[in-house]
Amino acid sequence: MKLVCLGLNHETAPVEVRERFALTEGGLDREVEMLLSAGDVLEGVVLSTCNRTEYYAVVNGGSGVAELEEWICGQRDYSGPREGVFYHHEARGAAEHLCRVASGMNSMVLGETEIFGQVKKAYQRSLDGGATKAVLNKLFQKAFGVGKRVRTHTAIQEGATSVAGASVELAEKVFGKLKGSSVMVIGAGEMSRKTARALQSRGASSVMVTNRSFDKAADLADEIGGRAVPFRGWEEELTHLDVVIAATGAPHFVVKPAHVEAVRRKRKFRPLIMVDIAVPRDIDPEVGEIDEVYLYDIDTLQEMADEARKRREEQLLLCEEIIREEIDKSSLPTVND
Amino acid sequence: MGMGIGWVIIATALAAAGGVLGVLAMRAEKPGRAAFLWMALAFGAQLMALGWRGELRGRCPLGDVGEICLFLAWSLTLFYLVTGSAYRLSLLGVFTAPLVVVLQVIALIPGSFAAGVERAEVVDHWRETHAALSVLSYGALALAAVAGVMFLVLNGRLKSRNLSGGLVQGMPSVQRLVQAMARIALVGWLVLTAGIVAGLFMKSGSMNIHLIVATITWVLYAVLLGIHFVRGMPGRHLAIGLTLLFILSLFVFAKL
Repeated sequence: MKLVCLGLNHETAPVEVRERFALTEGGLDREVEMLLSAGDVLEGVVLSTCNRTEYYAVVNGGSGVAELEEWICGQRDYSGPREGVFYHHEARGAAEHLCRVASGMNSMVLGETEIFGQVKKAYQRSLDGGATKAVLNKLFQKAFGVGKRVRTHTAIQEGATSVAGASVELAEKVFGKLKGSSVMVIGAGEMSRKTARALQSRGASSVMVTNRSFDKAADLADEIGGRAVPFRGWEEELTHLDVVIAATGAPHFVVKPAHVEAVRRKRKFRPLIMVDIAVPRDIDPEVGEIDEVYLYDIDTLQEMADEARKRREEQLLLCEEIIREEIDKSSLPTVND
Repeated sequence: MGMGIGWVIIATALAAAGGVLGVLAMRAEKPGRAAFLWMALAFGAQLMALGWRGELRGRCPLGDVGEICLFLAWSLTLFYLVTGSAYRLSLLGVFTAPLVVVLQVIALIPGSFAAGVERAEVVDHWRETHAALSVLSYGALALAAVAGVMFLVLNGRLKSRNLSGGLVQGMPSVQRLVQAMARIALVGWLVLTAGIVAGLFMKSGSMNIHLIVATITWVLYAVLLGIHFVRGMPGRHLAIGLTLLFILSLFVFAKL
């Protein structure tokens, strides 16, 4: 009896290969079923996300990774190159790999948390379908425990690694919790959408969208559950705002010191955070000279995201240590035998 | 003096340890409750020291420089312990501890605690209340100034986009600091009000110079807090105001 893992991900395979092996939710159940009926496979879990497809299987002694790879490529009718596209692990290597995946150490955005839920879901489907037994049940439970420990005992998920995330982090530094805060997005592009969404996910309750083309503002407002505001007169809303995100394509400053000066008294000098993610910039840097205004441009946000990524990378050694230690003290069958 | 002065030394060492541990935790970007726990222990030692002086005098121990400094340090620690946990201002301890240490070091300078103190025969309770409440209010006002300094540090770093390091990471938000500054100062001001009222009932009756200065201080704080709560003002102005007012009033009282 042997534990094997075979897969491909964003580091080994281009998107045209990844999409060939990607499975829909319904497809996953069929794949696991077919995997078990393939012959020497005793247990199986298939994980499929936008960046990876992985097969975890317990196979009979005579069988191995090569057979599994052959079967998978046959299933997908794949005749392209395999060298370097697929990776495989056996026994302890497979267990350690699963722990890395569940901990977000193998993800495109290092330390991201979504993968943990995706692994759990994949395991649950196999468990419900009766495709897991002693080996994979213990292995996945262990991996979930390790994933939790890695996240709580290291800084692998700390800091924002995207521009939108860095904006949220800054807003929280000024306001603490964002619950109930009001946000205005100037410009209705992709970055505006992402940043507004990130702020909403942390509790921002009122989001206004303004744009030269009102229709575009209305579309984005509809999409994110906000309110569209006509571009002419947007500054009147400044009185109630906590966060302003500017991301227009305008070749000149859209937000000027006079706009803020006009409402300072009405705002009772409350803090106002302004995030300028446009190039050329939308907010006159002099706005940042106003006492209660905290102004950040795209360079600052990018720098923050880069630093966070670096800090996460520095945590990898510590994470590996935790995984080694946890696997050492485990009694997983076929792993430490 | 014996064990009595020993409690002051212990309180000073504990507060210093709290400050150092807080700085270390901050540098490691893991601000925890280390400073809070050590300050809580320091508070216990301060109580013992104040008990020693109170027993000697048979009244509130505010009769010499050592006692005033010790009482002020105790009051500052008290408000820190209450506020630090209420606002989860873990880094406030790092900023408070040095001030507590300085006050207690002044108290430890030979001569700060008067020797051969006579036990009071008659106690004017209004005078005692006035003195105790005034020094207590200064503890709160000192803490508001400490929160003000914290705000100025955080504000400076946020405005200059210097965001890395444990100091910024471990600090509470700008809004929370503004809220803490204003509320702590308000509590201090209310206690000072009670102290001044008690002073008006003192047996000496007349408005002595201390009471006049306390009243001027009270008015200045009232104006600052009034502007903040009614009209509003940038957090930086409130922070500078609270810090300067505290330093100024302390300086004036020291001169008197």
